[in-house]
Amino acid sequence: MPHQTFEEVVLPHLDAAFNYARWLTKSDADAEDVVQDAYVRALRFFSSLRNDDARSWLLTIVRNTWYGRFAKARGVHQPTGYDDVTDDRPDDGLDPEALLIQQQAVAKVQRAVRELPADFREVIVLRELEGLSYKEIAAVARIPIGTVMSRLARARERLLTILGPSVARTGEQS
Amino acid sequence: MLDAYIDNELEPADAADLQAHLALCTGCRGLLAEREALGRLVRRLPYYPASDQLRAKIARSTRPRFNTTLLTWAAVLALAASLGGSVGVVRFARARLAGDTTAAVADEVVGDHVRALRDAHLFDVRSSDQHTVKPWFLGKLDFSPPVEDLAAVGFPLMGGRLDRVAGQPVAALVYQRRLHPIDVYIWPAAERTAATETRSIRGFHVRHWIRNGMSLWAVSDLNDGELDEFVRALQR
Repeated sequence: MPHQTFEEVVLPHLDAAFNYARWLTKSDADAEDVVQDAYVRALRFFSSLRNDDARSWLLTIVRNTWYGRFAKARGVHQPTGYDDVTDDRPDDGLDPEALLIQQQAVAKVQRAVRELPADFREVIVLRELEGLSYKEIAAVARIPIGTVMSRLARARERLLTILGPSVARTGEQS
Repeated sequence: MLDAYIDNELEPADAADLQAHLALCTGCRGLLAEREALGRLVRRLPYYPASDQLRAKIARSTRPRFNTTLLTWAAVLALAASLGGSVGVVRFARARLAGDTTAAVADEVVGDHVRALRDAHLFDVRSSDQHTVKPWFLGKLDFSPPVEDLAAVGFPLMGGRLDRVAGQPVAALVYQRRLHPIDVYIWPAAERTAATETRSIRGFHVRHWIRNGMSLWAVSDLNDGELDEFVRALQR
């Protein structure tokens, strides 16, 4: 993209980069470090961005940065508090009781997703929160599209196993 | 299969087949409902936007910076111009560049490297083939820079560009090690040879040497050890 600047092309995806890094690292401070490093790298390699999919490109750099800097050093991450369910999305007109049940279900899901292995966690986040296509996920995680599909299927199986049928039923109500 | 169906990733024909099956199979309908319910819950998970502080920090660190090196050069050249006229300026610049042992040139080279990265303009010619890159400079410079691919020792040639250092056209070759680009600036020197000089400027590592009448400057954020390895490979 010869006529567009880094500011125009890459900066707009900062939220996506941070959300992805935050789910990978499970910590605000680590996510900020990863995203800052990733942006420095992205700036350096901006010339290598050939197509117009800046978001996938940036998320790939975020992922590589995280793997390079943190994954090896950290090993298994300590689970921390799950008190940060900040859901200000519309409540689908649920009554207070149903709303509470749903919030509890989301908290459970959050815990379950955080406990997934990183490979599973990232496909869930990229698919469900970023809305990436299988092709885009394949590019970010550098795996074949078939692997994206099987990994998502296995990640969902695992979540359903962890959560049990009751949580799934809560989801049905909304 | 169900996952690809939920995610709208099935080919239309496959999706139609699956729909036909779902109409008949209660078990699969149950599995589908379960997954769809899970999806609704997962999509309610927190989305973490970047904080305003992080946004400001990143905007600062990636914003084009005003180049003080260039300003210094402009001031020096303006002073030279007021003393010796325009011919003097050219001579002065050439002498500066030919002598090129000064910290000012090193600073200039690093400034250019940073600018090239910032403006995403590392390449005018993008090729790992030395027989493509070397002829590309023909007719664009009044000298022929030595071009050698070092992929065999882990420093693949990525390409090159025409650049200007202190107002002089120079050849810039780009090599790479992992994620680190290495810029090699080349122009004719006054001397035949000079030993390798080592510098670090603003976090970038710089090596300078003269060989066969060519002045070479290697600039990179690559660590010192590997940059030395690169320079030795280039000097072989």
